[in-house]
Amino acid sequence: MKRLEDLSFYELLEVECDASPFEVHQAYKEMHQLYHDDSLASYSFFSREEREEILAKLDEAYSTLMDERNRSRYDQLLIERGILEKGMQYQRDRKKLSLMSDAKHPGTNTALRIRDRLKPIVSSNPVIQEILTQDVLSGEDLKKIRDELGISLEEIAEIVKVRMVYLHAIEDDQFEKTPSRIFLKGFLRAYAQCIGLDADIVANRYLKRIHD
Amino acid sequence: MNSINQYSSDFMPHIWPIGGGKGGTGKSFLTSNIGILLARQGFKTLLIDADLGTPNLHTIIGLPNPEISLSDFLNRKVATLEETVLEMPIPNLFLISGARNKLDISNLAHEQKMKMLRAISRLDYDYILLDLGAGTSFNTIDFFTLSDSGIFVCIPEPTSIENIYRLIRSVYVRKIRQVLRIDRFRSLTEKAEAQNQDAITHHPEYLLDMLKNIDPEQGSKIERILKAFQFKLVLNQVRRQDNPKVGALICKIVEKHLGMKIQFIGNVSFDERVHEAVCRKESFVEKYSYSQSTLDLKLVIKGITGMTEEQAVAL
Repeated sequence: MKRLEDLSFYELLEVECDASPFEVHQAYKEMHQLYHDDSLASYSFFSREEREEILAKLDEAYSTLMDERNRSRYDQLLIERGILEKGMQYQRDRKKLSLMSDAKHPGTNTALRIRDRLKPIVSSNPVIQEILTQDVLSGEDLKKIRDELGISLEEIAEIVKVRMVYLHAIEDDQFEKTPSRIFLKGFLRAYAQCIGLDADIVANRYLKRIHD
Repeated sequence: MNSINQYSSDFMPHIWPIGGGKGGTGKSFLTSNIGILLARQGFKTLLIDADLGTPNLHTIIGLPNPEISLSDFLNRKVATLEETVLEMPIPNLFLISGARNKLDISNLAHEQKMKMLRAISRLDYDYILLDLGAGTSFNTIDFFTLSDSGIFVCIPEPTSIENIYRLIRSVYVRKIRQVLRIDRFRSLTEKAEAQNQDAITHHPEYLLDMLKNIDPEQGSKIERILKAFQFKLVLNQVRRQDNPKVGALICKIVEKHLGMKIQFIGNVSFDERVHEAVCRKESFVEKYSYSQSTLDLKLVIKGITGMTEEQAVAL
């Protein structure tokens, strides 16, 4: 077991070395919840000084990893110390939230696992939450949510086994390209579940426009 | 003596001490109701009231005046522990009561404790649940350390959480004490306390770190033992306004800062009818079989037995 002072910022926040800023932010929030003064879960476990020390290190980790230049310098330091392998650090344009790792485990329900993994991210992302307050959802709205999560359409197609042409049709609001309303509803439900959204809510709000 | 679970036929232990640092967290309620659910599923289940000083599992289970008790075995009134087993009206459910224990039994001598633990390990049941007393007495801690398994119960209140951390740390220190010779243990604690005065009460991990420096082989051995513990945590009496993640966070803290793995196996919802069931000496899970708390208890069983969620919910 490593002592606090020996943990890297990534280990402290319990994120991968290539975690996106969004993931770092989420992890910081969770850790802060764990260690802050009024945390019930850690009540009595630490002395006041220990708690202050942990929170200071968390703040340092957060401010370093959220700043592109500082993070790059820190990663370089880890590479020099042999803690981080070159090429494993975060690169801004790299696709981040791969669903395929969830699809690789046979014998378990992939869709449910992905939904469970994405749900907390969806519920804490302000952009997604704002979109989800709308009574009606468009293809563009769904695409925005998908982009926020950093998931590619190809990944969704692979997991839900729906052809790309229909997924594009959903995001481009080209309903006529889907076989029928029943099929469209099914595709929408699968798409929504795959990105951690409530299938019924998304399908109903999207299909409202076709009623109109 | 090694673990009393060492003869378990499969990976999951079948002897589960159930304890919590504080009284009133629902240890006896959980023990009796989990036992009933297991028995109803066809598992031969024995409940042992190991709360030696203040036993009352018999009352919760609806047996006000048991005629024989654990102490009859410890005091050699009967030759074997099996003779103290009482058959319950529920098929497959059995009880070793503590109702007639002598008042000074809570200070059980080491030999008697070992005799009892050895006898328990020889009993032939699918599951044996030990309802332990509150606090951090050696009696309670030894049941955990000698089983290498156990279920910690706490409620989402600072007092209960404070006590559960104290109990977990006590188990940690006690295990080191059991592995080392007494003189080595004393010398180790003296050295650790010279560096950090809270080493024994708050930072038992210092003891292990120090031991690993002095005697890497022995230190690694203890580290392996601590990691191999099959400890579980249940958060009981969780109300709607409580943070449902607290249990998992407690386990995270313990793993991250003590290096001990504890698996969180579920929240059990607060239900006012528990009080009524206890007062009427009725089984809660049978009377309120469709309540949220009963469903929660079934999911807790999933964590104890390794059942799938579908199997657990169908109990």
